Amino acid sequence: MSAGLAVRLPGVDPVMDPESRAWVAALAGDGGDRDAALERLHALLLRAARFELGRRRGQLASLSASERSDLAVQAADDALMAVLARLADFRGLSRFTTWAYKFALLEAATKARRMAWRDRELPRPPEDWLAVAATDGHPEAAAEHAELLAAVKAAVAEVLTPHQREVLLTVVAGQVPLDVLAERRGTTRGALYKTIHDARRKLRAHLAGTGLLTGEEVSR
Amino acid sequence: MSLLEGLLGPEEPEVGCEDCFAELDRYVELELAGADPDAELPGLRAHLAGCLACREEHQSLRDLVAGDDR
Repeated sequence: MSAGLAVRLPGVDPVMDPESRAWVAALAGDGGDRDAALERLHALLLRAARFELGRRRGQLASLSASERSDLAVQAADDALMAVLARLADFRGLSRFTTWAYKFALLEAATKARRMAWRDRELPRPPEDWLAVAATDGHPEAAAEHAELLAAVKAAVAEVLTPHQREVLLTVVAGQVPLDVLAERRGTTRGALYKTIHDARRKLRAHLAGTGLLTGEEVSR
Repeated sequence: MSLLEGLLGPEEPEVGCEDCFAELDRYVELELAGADPDAELPGLRAHLAGCLACREEHQSLRDLVAGDDR
């Protein structure tokens, strides 16, 4: 697993609860206590990974039980490395176990999303997804917001850059998970979300200028 | 989330995915303690509304920790 991995010592935080403090001390130490802590931590992360994959059983229906088990172990292994590499970031503002869980959930969710899309081409072209989604995906919303939807479609075509348009439509209308698109494009979830965020801001500003958009019209 | 909500995203200012991940554990514990996580961590709820991946992981963490606490 991770024996020999360098661990940065976190600063002492007065708000850290005793159990979390014990986790950090054991993981930042050496010898038998650290080995035992690593084993307990891996078991904790494996439980979280299995929890996440269990929620995604439907996405992973093509995998055998053995393959799902292997995926959980891979997620726990990767999460363990991430936890150790980021140990100095743990400030004790939550319990250590809660902090550690999120790494396992992220790893498991990301692996599951990618696994579910591993043999699938990303749908194209984006403009067609919008037409399909507007009529088939959310027919009630489309009927209620026909004017606004038409204005949004026009704004998507007019004010977004080609990159913004492709990313926004791929994720929102094409329902491609951010992690999957990030892997195919060689980038990160955060970078893609920033693109989506900027595109949404641009659309909102454009629509506000036309007087069509208020928050109520979007969420009604 | 409707198509319009997906295309236009949350109206409020929001954090990015990295900041969301950095604070997600604290946010969940504040939620489960009945505190006001949005006052402590502004912009995170808006991000969860706009980002499906982070929203799914938030739900998982909340359910996992809540199960431990029962």
